[in-house]
This record gives sequence, C-alpha cells and structure tokens, in this order.
Amino acid sequence: MFKKLLQAFVLNARIRNAAIGVIALLVLSVVPFFNAPPPHVELAAEALLEHGPKWFTNGLLTTILVDLIIILLAVFAVSRMKEIPGAWQNIVEMLVEGMWNLTQSIAGHGSANSRKFFPWVITIFIFVLVSNYIGLLPGFGSIGIYHSGAESHAQAALDNQLAMAGAETVAVAAAAEEGKPVLVPLFRSPSADLNMTLALALISVFMTQFFGVQALGIRYFTKFFKNPFNDGMGAVVGFFELIAEISKIISFSFRLFGNIFAGEVVLLVMAFLVTFLLPSIFYGLELFIGFIQALVFMLLTLAFFTMATVSHDDHH
Amino acid sequence: MDALDKLGISWQLLLSQIVNFGLLMIILQQLLYKPVLNMLEQRRQRIAEGLEQADKASHAAAEAEAEKQAILEEARREAQEVRAQATRDAERIAQDVRSRADQEAQEIRMKAQADAEAQTAAVMADARKQIADLTIAATEQILGRELANRDEQERFVADYLAQQNGSGS
Repeated sequence: MFKKLLQAFVLNARIRNAAIGVIALLVLSVVPFFNAPPPHVELAAEALLEHGPKWFTNGLLTTILVDLIIILLAVFAVSRMKEIPGAWQNIVEMLVEGMWNLTQSIAGHGSANSRKFFPWVITIFIFVLVSNYIGLLPGFGSIGIYHSGAESHAQAALDNQLAMAGAETVAVAAAAEEGKPVLVPLFRSPSADLNMTLALALISVFMTQFFGVQALGIRYFTKFFKNPFNDGMGAVVGFFELIAEISKIISFSFRLFGNIFAGEVVLLVMAFLVTFLLPSIFYGLELFIGFIQALVFMLLTLAFFTMATVSHDDHH
Repeated sequence: MDALDKLGISWQLLLSQIVNFGLLMIILQQLLYKPVLNMLEQRRQRIAEGLEQADKASHAAAEAEAEKQAILEEARREAQEVRAQATRDAERIAQDVRSRADQEAQEIRMKAQADAEAQTAAVMADARKQIADLTIAATEQILGRELANRDEQERFVADYLAQQNGSGS
C-alpha cells in the first residue's frame, strides 16, 4: 500500500503537484504573515457608520443586496421567457415547480390552500437560502470599515473569550480592550442578523393564526382557550398549545440564526487556526446547512399553515 | 430590553425586515411565481396536446395502413379472379378451337374419302368399259366376225364383269 502510494507520488506528476501544493499551503498556514486575524465576532448586526444612524447596519445593507440579487435573477429568468427554456430559465422553473409540488404535497393537490400558502413559503425558502449563501461569499466579514473602537465592554469581553482560541490571545485581547480600531464588516448575512430571522418567525407565526382564522373562523381559537369548567384537561392542553405557539417564534428565529451565525463563527475560527485547506471542508458543510435550514424554515411554516387550517373538533 | 439590544434587535430593524419580506413576496409573486407557473401550465397543455396529436396521427397512420392492406388484399383477390377467369376462358377457347379443328379435319377427311371413292368408282367404271370393249374386240378378232347382236354382247360382258366383281370383292 505504502509502496504503491510512493510509486504514484513519484510517477504521476498530477498527484505529485497536488501533494506539494497541499504541503505548501499547510506550511504557509503557520507562517505569521498569512495568519488570519483573530476572529472578531459580533452577535448583533453593527451600524456601518460610526456616527451615522444606528439602524443602518451591515445586516440591513446585505438584506437589500439579497433582495436585489433575487429580483435580478428572477428578472433574468423571466424577462425572455420561452416555451423552450434556456439554462437559467430551466433552473428557476425547476425551483418554482419543485416548491409548488412540495407545497401541494403537504397542503393538498390543487387546493385553494396550496395557492394561498405558496407565495409565502417559496419566498421564505428563496430569501433564506440566498441569505444563508451570501454569507459564504469571500469578503463577508473581511471587508469593512474601521471604527475607533469605543465598543461596549460586553463586546470586548466577548472578543476576549473568542480570541482565547488563538495563540496570541493575550496581546489581542489587550488590544481590543484598549479601544484599538475595530473592523466593522461591510456585509453580514441577513440570516446571521436576529432582526431578519425574528421577522420571518413573526410573519410565519402570525400568518399561521391568520390562515387558521380564515379557514375556521373564531372557532380556530378554541384550540387555545377552552372553558375550564366543561373541559378541564382541554383547558390545560390549550394553555400548552398557546405556549407552544409563542415558543415557535423563538425556535424559528434562533434555529436559523444559530445555525448560520455559528457556521460563520466556525469558518472564522477554522481560518484562524489553519488558514488554508481546513476552512474548505467547513465551507462544504455550511453549504449543506444553508440549504437544509432554508428548507426546514419553509417546510415547518408550510406544515404549521396546513395544520392551522384543519379543525381539531372534528376528530372527536 | 437590554438583552434585546445586545442581540441587536430593534423594532425599527424588525419592522424593516417584515416590510422587506412582504415587498419581496409581492414582487416575486408578480414577477416570478405567476409567470413561471403560467408557463409551466402552458407547456404542460402544449405537451398534452402534442401527445394527443401524436396519438391521433399514429392512429390515423395505423388506419391508413389497415386500409392499404385491405385494398391490396382486394386487388390481389381480384387479380386472382381475373387470372382464373382468363385461364378458364383460354381453356374454353382452346377447347373450342380444338374441337372445331377436329371437326374440320373430320370433314376434310370424309370429303377426301368420298372423292377418292368416287374417283375409284369412276376409274373402275371406265376400266370395266374398256375391258368390255377390249374383250369384245378380242373376241371379234378371235371369232373372225362381228357378233351379230352387238348390244346383246355388251350386255353379256357387263353381266359377267358385274358377277366377277361381286364375287371377287
């Protein structure tokens, strides 16, 4: 086995070059010049302009960017729509048709519910997917504006903790605490901004109630509120249902935020530890997670929508 | 509220995200979902139509093929009949010709036979007459005189020859 490998190494130029490249990159990773800076991790989206409005955050800027990308891609696919589709039109049609079939398979084939739910869930999917993936582009987290560093104490402490992962911990931590200029990234994946995930969670849960009331009328709320003197057990269950409904907001928002934010932190840390090669593996993982999270958000929303339109009284 | 602040949540940003999502949904609904689903439906119908037409065309082709086969079969049968008829006619005509030829041949033969018989009879009659004449002349010469009753003589010879002829044949 070893002999065979050695033979391949000596004889096959391609394998030899690849191996030399790998070794060179690994060596470069420990050369101080190529070391990534210690990861600067900020839980909240930061205001881009130091003295500008607080609401103009990198998360908001990237949200607008995501919107533009989605709309441009849509326009590009639909502007010259043909019976015989081109490559891009084909991909977009595949996406829309796939989501449409998925919606129908859960909400009922050809049902009015499918048509009502479809724009909500497919927009969630597309928006979350593009948001997740845009954070993986080079330049996210690395291009930014230096602020004078009058960060809050909590932020410095967080930086301190995360910088522990590195070797030059003490110096970096000290520098951060002393108010050294801090890089505020120009872009931030919207999925790593709680405002976006919370907004989507609120929309999802609110629309669940909306569709429920639309389908069942005032009867929908009997799921949560029952007369405790008639049906004591039912009242307790209804109370739990209410809590579950509210906790959906939190689970929706923090699931997406946590996955994407953590993914970005993992990428940063990996780039900090071994500059080359190692992050590539995690990039693959993040691509997978980005897709799965978009799908999960969409499918859960769809499932809740569908469940809300079904009357629970009929079961008894 | 301090906790929310640390998480970067502010009601303005939250509202902006909600509005953003709503706008994006409306724009995409008009721009993407409707046209694409319409196009898919349109294409589905086109394909269904095409398949139906192809089905029809293949049906028509099969029918045409069957018809062709039927016509060919009919033509073959007719040709067969015509040939059989022709063969029968030819045989009949041949039969006719042969029988007529036979008949004619028969007639010719019979006529020839009759001719020959008549000739023979004539020759025989002539010969008898000459023989009778010669006999009379010879007898005259032998007897040295002319028979007195010439008519009697001739009758006598003729009777004799007839007698000979009758017993001889």
